[in-house]
Amino acid sequence: MAKTQYYVPVGPIHPALKEPIRVEAKVEGEKIVEVDVKRGFAHRGIEYMGMKRNAIQTLYLSERICGICSISHPYAFVVTAEKALGIEAPPRAQYIRTIIGELERIHSHILWLGVVAHEMGFDSLLFWTWKGRERLLDILELLTGNRINYSVFMIGGVRRDIKESHIKAIKDMISYYRTFNQEMKDVFLSDPVYKARTRGVAQLSKKMALELNAVGPVARAAGVRMDIRQDIPYDAYADIDVRAVVPQDIVGEARGDAYDITMVRLYEIDQSLDIIEYCIDELPEGKLMAIPNYVALLAKIRRTQGEAIGAHEAPRGEVIHYLKFDGKMDGPSVWKVIAPSYNNINTWAPLLLGAEVADIPIVVAYIDPCMCCNDRIAVVRDEDGRIIDPATLHRKAVEKTRKLREELGVRE
Amino acid sequence: MKEPMSVEEVLKKLQETLGEALLSHEVREYTMGVKRKRTYRELWITIKPDAFRKTVEAIFALDYPHLHFIAGEDGGGETLTMIYSFGVFHTHPWGELSITIKFDLPKDNLVLPTITDLMIGAETNEREIREMLGVEFEGLKNKRHLFLPDDWPEGKYPWRRDEYGVEDMIKHTHRSVNEIRKMRGEE
Repeated sequence: MAKTQYYVPVGPIHPALKEPIRVEAKVEGEKIVEVDVKRGFAHRGIEYMGMKRNAIQTLYLSERICGICSISHPYAFVVTAEKALGIEAPPRAQYIRTIIGELERIHSHILWLGVVAHEMGFDSLLFWTWKGRERLLDILELLTGNRINYSVFMIGGVRRDIKESHIKAIKDMISYYRTFNQEMKDVFLSDPVYKARTRGVAQLSKKMALELNAVGPVARAAGVRMDIRQDIPYDAYADIDVRAVVPQDIVGEARGDAYDITMVRLYEIDQSLDIIEYCIDELPEGKLMAIPNYVALLAKIRRTQGEAIGAHEAPRGEVIHYLKFDGKMDGPSVWKVIAPSYNNINTWAPLLLGAEVADIPIVVAYIDPCMCCNDRIAVVRDEDGRIIDPATLHRKAVEKTRKLREELGVRE
Repeated sequence: MKEPMSVEEVLKKLQETLGEALLSHEVREYTMGVKRKRTYRELWITIKPDAFRKTVEAIFALDYPHLHFIAGEDGGGETLTMIYSFGVFHTHPWGELSITIKFDLPKDNLVLPTITDLMIGAETNEREIREMLGVEFEGLKNKRHLFLPDDWPEGKYPWRRDEYGVEDMIKHTHRSVNEIRKMRGEE
């Protein structure tokens, strides 16, 4: 008797998917026989918006591309803009950038560990890891003033210094995470249930990783020794011999499954702690910005014709920006952004074929997908179909608060 | 992965394969590092559009590359500038060589061969360029929209700066509440 096929749509809004994306699966019993991934549910056209602003505004717009790693895109943006404009950031600024970039890698990796544990049903692990992550966010708040969207990078430097008083806090943090990461390794890598649930799931071979153009920890877990910090170093990474973390160096072989990717991420946390420690000890003295005057910086941008490609190894993989300045405008005339999930989502369809329905959340979560990195004009219209500008939107918000205050009898 | 070659060796190979189709080349140098300054170099080439496939095959013959991105620029004129960026010899410390191919494609014939047969992962990039700039890829199997909705009006390309651009696309993107009510026959 022929088996009946059922169609299982997962998403765009679904508990297993943190952001809108849709996995359309055709199943026979528990087995997935056909799969299609639909994206673009929250495309914001940020590249288009960036081409209508000056370069400094575009830099802070790029920070809003990703909701979790808010330094990944500005990092790639400043590296690219400096290459195109011929500006070199001062040594101290380069080291500070690297420190913040690595702090973000640790918090992003811990966040992922929590998410993947949650997808499998280990909610106590989720709460434990996320509690451990808080200390890092506190350090980031101490250094930049914000827990997200740090607004600390600038074309040709950084806007805030790491003071003497911060260094002790960072060193305490490093020793705290050395212990905490060891505990995490013990829990994640030796737990029999976690092992059974991740071994052989979402298994990606080296050949597949290359053909699907996978990047970051996903490619590294499959045994591809690629890492922007190693292949084309920049900033303080050029002083440190960063080596890509691959499973074959840790356990002798790379299987490229969800377990290996957990291992790669856990060992990368150690590597990031080493990098931060080195940068803190070797932090050069000096100024923070190559061109501290924003008017002078914008004037330089308006005079310069140039284009460049730049990259940053974000926690999820490489972020690549292309910028072109035409020598007429304050901002880029072309801006192209590639986020790691853009490439890594390619791995879903081949991995889901033949897998079971219960593995969908793990396959989806293992690449640490970020839809907002991918889906980059939000247009808001009022009831009569008119486009609402930001000033009107703000006014409406203030009016509503006043109205509520009156209704509730709260005095100003 | 293969051992890295120098920029000059790569350039020589490309010149041998492409001949006159290689219109110009540029080796760009950047100095990186604070305490140990080192230079890394990038190769930028401009080619004739009909030699595109041959160029990509030549790059694949060097080493299995990593596709950085496919981008296109519309200055509003008669042509689109296509930009393909590949990275070869990655996995080697300081060894990755970025090769960027640029060429002008006339707007009355926006057709390019696909590279998805060489690299499946390029499908997303090609689908994005197809919907955003209107370039047709010969041999691309999956031609569904990637980011734009399925009912997107035909012949509107968000990244174009000519008459096919975004001027009247917004009204297609979001229907106002009034329009939806009218469609439903409500007051």
